Amino acid sequence: MEVLREKVEEEEAAEREEAAERAERARTEKMTRPVEVRKEETTLTQETLRDLEKKLSEIQIPVSAELPAFTKDTIDISMLPVSYKTNTPKEEQLLQLADNFSRQYSHLCPDRVPLFLHPLNECEVPKFVSTTLRPTLMPYPELYNWDSCAEFVSDFLTMVPLPDPLKPTIKREEKVLPKKYTIRPPRDLCSRFEQEQEMKRQQEIRAQEEKRLKEEEERLMEAEKASPDALHGLRVHSWVLVLSGKREVPENFFIDPFTARSYSTQDEHFLGIESLWNHRNYWINMQDCWNCCKDLIFDLGDPVRWEYMLLGTDKPELSLTEDDSGINDEDDVENLDKQDEDKSFDMPHSWVEQIEISPEAFETRCPNGQKVIQYKRAKLEKWAPYLNRNGLVSRLTTYEDLACTNILEIKEWYQNREDMLELKHINKTTDLKTDYFKPGHPHALRVHSYKSMQPEMDRVIEFYETARVDGLIKREETPETMTEYYQGRSDFLFYRHADFGPRVKKLTLSSTESNPRPIVKITEQFFRNPAKPAEEDVAERVFLVTEERIQLRYHCREDHITASKREFLRRSEVDSKGNKIIMTPDMCVTFEVEPMEHTKKLLYQYETLMHLKKEEKLSRHQVWESELEVLEILKLREEEEEVHTLTVSIYDTKRNEKSKEYREAMERVMHEEHLRQMETQLDYLAPFLVQLAPGEKLTRWQAVRLKDECLSDFKQRLINKANLIQARFEKETQELQKKQQWYQENQVTLTPEDEDQYLSYCSQAMFRIRILEQRLNRHKELAPLKYLALEEKLHKDPRLGELPKMFT
Amino acid sequence: MNRLYDSMEPRVIDDGMLKLAVGEQGPQEEAGELAKQEGILFKDVLSLQLDFRNILRIDNLWQFENLRKLQLDNNIIEKIEGLESLTHLVWLDLSFNNIETIEGLDTLVNLEDLSLFNNRISNIDSLDALVKLQVLSLGNNQIDNMMNIIYLRRFRCLRTLSLSGNPVSEAEDYKMFICAYLPDLVYLDFRRIDDHTKEVAEAKHHYSIEELKHRENLMQARLEEEQARREELEKHKTAFVEHLNGSFLFDSMYAEDSEGNKLSSLPGVSELLEAYRDKFVIICVNIFEYGLKQQEKRKTELDTFNECVHEAIQENQEQGKRKIAKFEEKHLMSLSAIREELEMPNIEKMILECSADISELFDALMTLEMQLVEQLEETINMFERNIVDLVGLFIENVQSLMAQCRDLENHHHEKLLEISISTLEKAVKGDLDEDLSEDVRALFVDKDTIVNAVGASHDIHLLKIDNREDELVTRINSWCTRLVDKIHRDEIMRNRKRVKEINLYIDHMKSELDNLEYSDILD
Repeated sequence: MEVLREKVEEEEAAEREEAAERAERARTEKMTRPVEVRKEETTLTQETLRDLEKKLSEIQIPVSAELPAFTKDTIDISMLPVSYKTNTPKEEQLLQLADNFSRQYSHLCPDRVPLFLHPLNECEVPKFVSTTLRPTLMPYPELYNWDSCAEFVSDFLTMVPLPDPLKPTIKREEKVLPKKYTIRPPRDLCSRFEQEQEMKRQQEIRAQEEKRLKEEEERLMEAEKASPDALHGLRVHSWVLVLSGKREVPENFFIDPFTARSYSTQDEHFLGIESLWNHRNYWINMQDCWNCCKDLIFDLGDPVRWEYMLLGTDKPELSLTEDDSGINDEDDVENLDKQDEDKSFDMPHSWVEQIEISPEAFETRCPNGQKVIQYKRAKLEKWAPYLNRNGLVSRLTTYEDLACTNILEIKEWYQNREDMLELKHINKTTDLKTDYFKPGHPHALRVHSYKSMQPEMDRVIEFYETARVDGLIKREETPETMTEYYQGRSDFLFYRHADFGPRVKKLTLSSTESNPRPIVKITEQFFRNPAKPAEEDVAERVFLVTEERIQLRYHCREDHITASKREFLRRSEVDSKGNKIIMTPDMCVTFEVEPMEHTKKLLYQYETLMHLKKEEKLSRHQVWESELEVLEILKLREEEEEVHTLTVSIYDTKRNEKSKEYREAMERVMHEEHLRQMETQLDYLAPFLVQLAPGEKLTRWQAVRLKDECLSDFKQRLINKANLIQARFEKETQELQKKQQWYQENQVTLTPEDEDQYLSYCSQAMFRIRILEQRLNRHKELAPLKYLALEEKLHKDPRLGELPKMFT
Repeated sequence: MNRLYDSMEPRVIDDGMLKLAVGEQGPQEEAGELAKQEGILFKDVLSLQLDFRNILRIDNLWQFENLRKLQLDNNIIEKIEGLESLTHLVWLDLSFNNIETIEGLDTLVNLEDLSLFNNRISNIDSLDALVKLQVLSLGNNQIDNMMNIIYLRRFRCLRTLSLSGNPVSEAEDYKMFICAYLPDLVYLDFRRIDDHTKEVAEAKHHYSIEELKHRENLMQARLEEEQARREELEKHKTAFVEHLNGSFLFDSMYAEDSEGNKLSSLPGVSELLEAYRDKFVIICVNIFEYGLKQQEKRKTELDTFNECVHEAIQENQEQGKRKIAKFEEKHLMSLSAIREELEMPNIEKMILECSADISELFDALMTLEMQLVEQLEETINMFERNIVDLVGLFIENVQSLMAQCRDLENHHHEKLLEISISTLEKAVKGDLDEDLSEDVRALFVDKDTIVNAVGASHDIHLLKIDNREDELVTRINSWCTRLVDKIHRDEIMRNRKRVKEINLYIDHMKSELDNLEYSDILD
């Protein structure tokens, strides 16, 4: 038996919002035997009824051995509403009804699996299954359609396998270790040749054997897949049935809650259906399931095929005309019911709280934002975004064996990384790591594959060439070479290859930066430059740095098969007589497809050589810079790996600190604005008007008094305020003086830290004093104005309307 | 400035002056020494400066074929001349001279920067050839006609212009006028023209510019039309049926035929002539259309042939290249092996091997080439046969159509003769139409005269038709032979070039090997 452990509330309700209309919660059982549809044809007498009742009450329904759905520590029961802990009378009634129904059922179909009617909820209170469903509409568009909704639910569910009821005991055979002092085997006196021949023969046989074994294994594997399941047809499982009709659902189908996959009702995995329920009713399948679910007809309004528990709450789909037998049948059930109740007993309202999924929870999806799915030879781990500090969102580990011990490769997907890392692929067999980046890395990285992060090792770095000025696509490195591939350069370079020699040992402390490997050879290749004639357009140039040779190969002209070549040698600088040699004909070996006059000239050759020397210097510099860049990239990558900052979208108001601050500031401003408005609307007369009887018109005398009172009160208030500021000012000054005094006394013994503290205190105190002083001055300045303003206001106040008249 | 040099004797450009200038302005230091050793050829010089030399006449510059930049400023040159052969010139400075008219620049099509600052030029013209002109400096001259600036509109690349110091530039409207009429200009008199000025200028001269533009467009359209017509005619000519798509031939028949024209005024003849003309034109159009069709056919035939030959050559070249690449790879390895080898006998053995490799390569390449030659030979022959057939067919058909023309003519001739005879009879009887002119009347004196007249007209017509036919046939035949000859010649040239190339390469390889041997022995 395999029982689900579900966090029923949340995900069910979530899914309900979509499925509420059509989906029926199906409780189904895969059956080994076809269900026998029985019908009581005989009419029941009063005695038989009584008998039946007695019998029924005696039947003990085995409560399905469900584990409590929740471990106690995950849910705080005390926080749950009352409806979770108690049953309303109507619910009690329903439970009794259900019990009765169940008893009848087991009486009528004794060989069928007991019904799943009222499991205990998290508060150990029995609840009828239908009442656990509460259709709710959620604000997430993903939950509006069945597929994404089912995916969400499947992410949320965690499968915990139950112990195998057939528990095979595992025996371990202990190997007998060879004894330490066993005598050596006798000497081998066979002919070597014969042995070899034998070996060969053996090898052949072994090869054949191996092949056979392999085939065998494959066959075994095949067999393993299809090995007969001892529990075939005994497992009970719940899944979702969506009925066709509403919301453009063309036909009925099943959804498996664990995988979120949909199956046709014809699927062979589903052996049969025991019962169905939704939030309104409960039906028992009375159809024969010998051919899996293929022949089932999902017309729930047909009482012959689907025995309902509650009458007439809602008849979802009654396409068949109700025949008499159906009605009779129904009547029988009703008659058997001893409870005096309405023919149509409404399903009580769901006891479940309306579900709420916060955006965070929705984004987190899985419980704790993390989920592990085990596949055959593979394991998939998922995390919610931003859950891992390094942005890891999923990891796929593939294994060599079924037991999942030898890792073949690991793939890790990242999200929201500032370094744009998207996927990290680690091949455990070759130990090769490959990082894939999205566009936007500061070094325009696309792919970086390496075995170690040490410089000058095997590595391949690919770039987004459009993001680079030099058009570099790829740089390959081995301990002795570096190859670069370019694209779209104005100098038509597309390939540069540098060979390095062994590093010359220096006495000084040598790091890679201060002592780069000596370059032995640089090969550069160029595309054809259409603006130049072929015999002047260099296709390849090789700088043999150590030999001081430069080789040029030009492009081949369209109608030729040979290309011009030129090789410059640097020989002795000084000839036998000690004269300086500038250029001699033997320093340049030329092959020209079509010999030209001007190229034979020493001057031309000299100029070319000088130019090439410059170019060589540049190329060497380039190689050196490339090496530096690799170092830089490696350094940066290491830093990024350590820091792994995540980017936050500006629309993500919760995570984006800046926008959050901004929003909060805005809110604060709004709030203050609001307060200010409130203040302006403050009724300065209200406290004085309260003293008088409401609704009465003020007499002149009263008005004058009111005004005077108000003004004097305000004056008092102004004075108080001034006093308050004055007091604070004095206090601060005093304190400062005290402190200064203390400092004067202890100046000698003070540590520098104390002194610092003292100084900072002084400056702060001075600041405060200055502010207080300013406020005081300001207050003094403004107080008379405020007073006058109030007087003016009172003067115009309509409630004191008598006043002006009096003065005029 | 020029005054300064008045005291000095005027000079001409001679060899000595040039050599000196080239030597001074040529490469310096190490390269200079080399240059001195070898001597510099004038045609290798790219830039030459001949300023402040009191030169009166430009001369002796024809050797500087590749010159890019020439400075002749601050001399006393009076006439632009002797620059015809410097076609690569990009930069020409003739400022501070005594030039009065712009001339002699018609071959300098690559010129981008021309300076004629401080001369005596009064009119801007003769610059039509300088289509790439970007910078034009004409300051301190005597240009006084504002309308002369419109001439500069034809230089699409012109971005910088200086005209200050001319009478024109004193005009009030000077700047606005130039900005408006030369909208692509960026710098005027060494100052950038800002967008605002441009806008204002454009607004100011909006109408006149629109008008000018309209006129220019019309001119352009006419030119294009002319061009299109010329191309059309060219196309017809390549089909050898030009002027056959109308009554051109018919008209030409009567153009020189005075008698025929006279006779056409006879009653009944004009109708006859009309019918004759219609029929004749129809046949001509037939010939024309047929000719175009045949031309198309020949063209596709030739294209296919060229394509195939090209493909074959390409394929062959690729093979050759592959062979060479393979050889070179091996050769380089063995060369370096030889260099490292120390023992003499080994070296010799290896060198022998190497030379064997080289000759093997030679054989392989030559075999490839010979193979290609044979293949091409066959293809060319086939093509030749086909094209000759095509041409023959075309000629045959045209001739038959022309024969129809002749038949028509004969028919017409008979009819005309009939009418003439009847008219003659009428004339004899004396009831000739009154409205016939005197010339015509003169023909109807006796039978011989009229028959001769009609016969002469007929002969002229036939001659015209024959001429047209002969022209067509000879032209197409010569085209055909020329084409075939050219193909053969090209193939021979190609073959020779390839053989030469292979030999050159092999020789180079061998001499390289020999050098190696030699240097090894020395070592």
